[in-house]
Amino acid sequence: MKILVPVKRVVDYNVKVRVKADGTGVDIANVKMSMNPFDEIAVEEAVRLKEAGVATEVVAVSCGVAACQETIRAAMAIGADRGILVESDADLQPLAVAKLLKALCDKEQPTVVICGKQAIDDDSNQTGQMLAALMGWPQATFASKVALSDGVANVTREIDGGLETLEMKLPAVITTDLRLNEPRYATLPNIMKAKKKPLETVKPADLGVDVAPRLTTLKVAEPPKRSAGVRVADVAQLVDKLKNEAKVI
Amino acid sequence: MSQYTAPIRDMQFVMRELAGLDEVAKLPGCEEVSADLVDAILEEANKFASGVLAPLNRIGDQEGAKWDNGDVRTAPGWKEAYKQFAEAGWTALACEPEFGGQGLPKLVATAVMEMWKASNMAFSLCPMLTSGAIEAITLRGTDEQKAAYLPKMVSGEWTGTMNLTEPQAGSDLAAVRTRAEPQPDGTYKIFGQKIFITYGEHDMTDNIVHLVLARLPDAPEGVKGISLFVVPKFLLNADGTPGARNDVHCVSIEHKLGIHASPTCVLAFGDHGGAIGTLVGEENRGLEYMFIMMNEARFAVGMEGVALADRAYQHALAYAKDRVQGTEMGVRGGPKVSIIHHPDVRRMLMSMKSQTEAMRALAYVVAAANDAAHRDPDAAVRAENQAFVDLMIPVVKGWSTENSIDIASTGVQVHGGMGFIEETGAAQHLRDSRITTIYEGTTAIQANDLIGRKTAREGGVTIKALIAEIRGVLPQLAEHGSDDAFVAIRKSLESGIVALEAAVEYVLATYGKDIKAASVGSVPFLKLLGIVAGGWLMARAALVSSQRIAEGSTDEFYKTKIVTSRFYADHVLPQAQALSYTVVNGAAGALALDEAQF
Amino acid sequence: MAILVIAEHDNASLKAATLNTISAAAKLGGEVHVLVAGANCGGAAEQAAKLAGVAKVRVADAAHYESQTAENVAALVVANAAGYTHILAPSTANGKNVAPRVAALLDVAQISDIVAVESADTFVRPIYAGNAMATVKSSDAVKVMTVRTTAFEAAGQGGSAAVEAVAAAADLGLTSVKGRELTKSARPELGAAKIIVSGGRGLGNSENYHKLLEPLADALGAALGASRAAVDAGYVPNDYQVGQTGKIVAPQLYIAVGISGAIQHLAGMKDSKVIVAINKDPEAPIFQVADYGLVGDLFEVVPELAKAVG
Repeated sequence: MKILVPVKRVVDYNVKVRVKADGTGVDIANVKMSMNPFDEIAVEEAVRLKEAGVATEVVAVSCGVAACQETIRAAMAIGADRGILVESDADLQPLAVAKLLKALCDKEQPTVVICGKQAIDDDSNQTGQMLAALMGWPQATFASKVALSDGVANVTREIDGGLETLEMKLPAVITTDLRLNEPRYATLPNIMKAKKKPLETVKPADLGVDVAPRLTTLKVAEPPKRSAGVRVADVAQLVDKLKNEAKVI
Repeated sequence: MSQYTAPIRDMQFVMRELAGLDEVAKLPGCEEVSADLVDAILEEANKFASGVLAPLNRIGDQEGAKWDNGDVRTAPGWKEAYKQFAEAGWTALACEPEFGGQGLPKLVATAVMEMWKASNMAFSLCPMLTSGAIEAITLRGTDEQKAAYLPKMVSGEWTGTMNLTEPQAGSDLAAVRTRAEPQPDGTYKIFGQKIFITYGEHDMTDNIVHLVLARLPDAPEGVKGISLFVVPKFLLNADGTPGARNDVHCVSIEHKLGIHASPTCVLAFGDHGGAIGTLVGEENRGLEYMFIMMNEARFAVGMEGVALADRAYQHALAYAKDRVQGTEMGVRGGPKVSIIHHPDVRRMLMSMKSQTEAMRALAYVVAAANDAAHRDPDAAVRAENQAFVDLMIPVVKGWSTENSIDIASTGVQVHGGMGFIEETGAAQHLRDSRITTIYEGTTAIQANDLIGRKTAREGGVTIKALIAEIRGVLPQLAEHGSDDAFVAIRKSLESGIVALEAAVEYVLATYGKDIKAASVGSVPFLKLLGIVAGGWLMARAALVSSQRIAEGSTDEFYKTKIVTSRFYADHVLPQAQALSYTVVNGAAGALALDEAQF
Repeated sequence: MAILVIAEHDNASLKAATLNTISAAAKLGGEVHVLVAGANCGGAAEQAAKLAGVAKVRVADAAHYESQTAENVAALVVANAAGYTHILAPSTANGKNVAPRVAALLDVAQISDIVAVESADTFVRPIYAGNAMATVKSSDAVKVMTVRTTAFEAAGQGGSAAVEAVAAAADLGLTSVKGRELTKSARPELGAAKIIVSGGRGLGNSENYHKLLEPLADALGAALGASRAAVDAGYVPNDYQVGQTGKIVAPQLYIAVGISGAIQHLAGMKDSKVIVAINKDPEAPIFQVADYGLVGDLFEVVPELAKAVG
């Protein structure tokens, strides 16, 4: 069984991003970049499935600039066997990435695609679902437990208010939630081995995919600042404010 | 609590642009090393340091290691963290591939070590002592000893210790009294008490390999009569697994100012019939072997200085950006601002930052020279590098650690009253740093080594060569014409060089005829050399940065580096004149009083 | 032009998130239709029909929509997408599951988590975990979006929309839901709670902590937290601690009771959407970050509050 794991290079989760003064975006020049944490969970899950003898090969894929190679290497240091970089300097939006991944799935024929539920930069939470739609495959989003056997996946999903257990036919797309696993720390021997694992580079054009963006960002601004607090006279006024002004209860 | 994030950008800069990572990668045995690989290693080591070790730093300080009837319980989380650390292969980083190591160069190991030490110094001492023991067995152990111990120690399954100090033998190891009695089977029975044994007992692994200095019955007096032995906590079965308990026991652990989670043990050897050990190398040459490792250990403690300085800086910086107090100076009725807006807070932060970067640069440059000294195919190149390493190790050790105490103290100051409160965490760095100028040879021992063996005894050849190299950057700085920053850096560095030269001349002229007078100035001399060498590397950093900017780089790092270098030139380098003055003129006042007059 | 809102419901009744989504749809200008896909979901459809601003409710009632799997619902939406300029779902687990699938099948982008409607094709959405707000414009013919429900009012009652049945699409048979475990009764986990009631040393002792705060937390469905001082004093176990050295939380509502507001505590909760401070000391630093401050005796105020919200 082959597992494909898409990994995205994003601003490190520890970095507090700054909105550019001209409002065109956030300043990511010379900012520390890392693998999207949800994708790290996806790599970990795939590698565990391989270690358990369920999967035979784990392929890490990243779509984006040349530096995404580092992200693929990081996936290989966790245990992915090889990597594919779809190299593009374009602004790749989820639909475009899903199409690129579809092209790779057509070629690689994985049994399962495991991806992070969302990337912590654009917070879209779309790519996995879109890929499943384009492939005509079932999907299990927000997975907190995954069991694969005999062409069937049993996935526990985190839904509002609790958990849901889903059974689906393979091939399928699974997207990871935080509690699925705790990614390991890469070992030094594996970091060194990762450098020698095969990494293939292709271009969107090679895959015949049009990656033109469908959304234009007109402006990026700071979120509204906290308004100055007020004193309330009594419980009644507090409850009124919470219900009707803040609308939090 | 402060987060720790390794200063990877500065580490990369120093490794690549100042210490010559590319050159190191060309050395025999370093073929696998590349900038990419090093980046990946730094990234993953940072994840481990910030994710596993740093969160345990405070609980280790609070809970400490606990002695319980001969056993030592490490702080909560230690055992699990150590297991993860060993399983991730970090213990094997710089070890010989023959025994399971990765054989990576010291330059890489140094940057990684900085992360362990900055994130959790008390934890880092265990692998550090183990690597010293590994080195001793690798260099001088018998084939049987290597086969029995090295694979387990390299993999981190067992840890190692260094047993030197005894109650009457601290800095003066000639006074060692622990006895080793030869047995008919070729082993030795060891009797005696060792103190200050870092991780001498703990619950993290199923064996501990002690390296012990002891005297044979017929050994000559003094330093030439000390031999080195391997004494495992559990004797090994025929199949190499730990077997019977050896007669070495932890009778107590110390209550210390800092590094609470690192158990500092009193070990009793032979209280129940004799601890069984085997000889390392030849008889009576133990101290000599220890000195080989001592250089490594001194360098590593110097890195503790760099690491703690950086941690203290990160801690203070986060607070200064967050803490809002007062309005900006000169802005009447303006809004309240974070304290980083206040000039003196800036001065403190820049002082911490610039010195830490200078210390890091010097340590990494020495580490790279150490790689060349060990691996370069050309004997002359090896010798030249070794001389530089030998000269600078006391400086890396003494200067970085002395500074780290000041820097950690400044870190407390940045926090104001909150810094004095333990909960804030800034005080721990100060307490933890306090040991670094003491163990592995006090600052005075480093300084005496520096002015004696490393300077006077060789007629100042190596230090003069270094000064000539430092002078070499002055014309490059001058090429920047009237650029304010570069003018300031050049002038200050030049004054520093002149001050250093005067001090060197004094030491060379005085050491032979009045060793006491020369020695009064030894610590100021060590600091002086550190400050000027730091100024040299900060100047080189500014030059490289200016070149990168000229090549079109928009990386703010380079602009920041030039400003930091300039700050160092204006605030730190000028101390060179004062120190030089003290070296040259300070003896009379220090030595004149009778003991009774004190 | 017409707008389709995919209803969030449990067949018997409509979920509140649908109401907010309808309000967002109303801002687009156009007829708002609500699609209720379920099994025996007449109850939910009827409720939708009564909402103000809803022009039509379309109901696909079939056994294979019982658990509203993304595959079957998306196929249904796409089969009925003709004529809609916008397709909206709330940013719930369900909405986020279905909407991207719909968008991909329509070959259009999906816009996640909108918090404002600037025009029919321009929307504001948070990125980088809310540290920046992006205004994005769509060039697609159909805009498929999820709506952050807290950013829009709930639609009011008083509508009387027509309810029409739509043909069920084929059951794709790709997935089946084997079970759901919904945790309702237990108090939520501190890290994930929408509301947190947190106590400090002002409560005096452990008994007071539990006696005063538990009824309030239960009334609000809130998690319980504590300051370091309260943890150190042994009122509650360590894992209750909110602050720099404890848990960092950002709930919708954080109620600090008897907490003075040490810097390290503030660092752990200052990103909460709304902060309420209740303290008898009017000078307590907690008031500087509180949206609503109430100076008073905890032992009177807290029970009164529990009663008022219960």
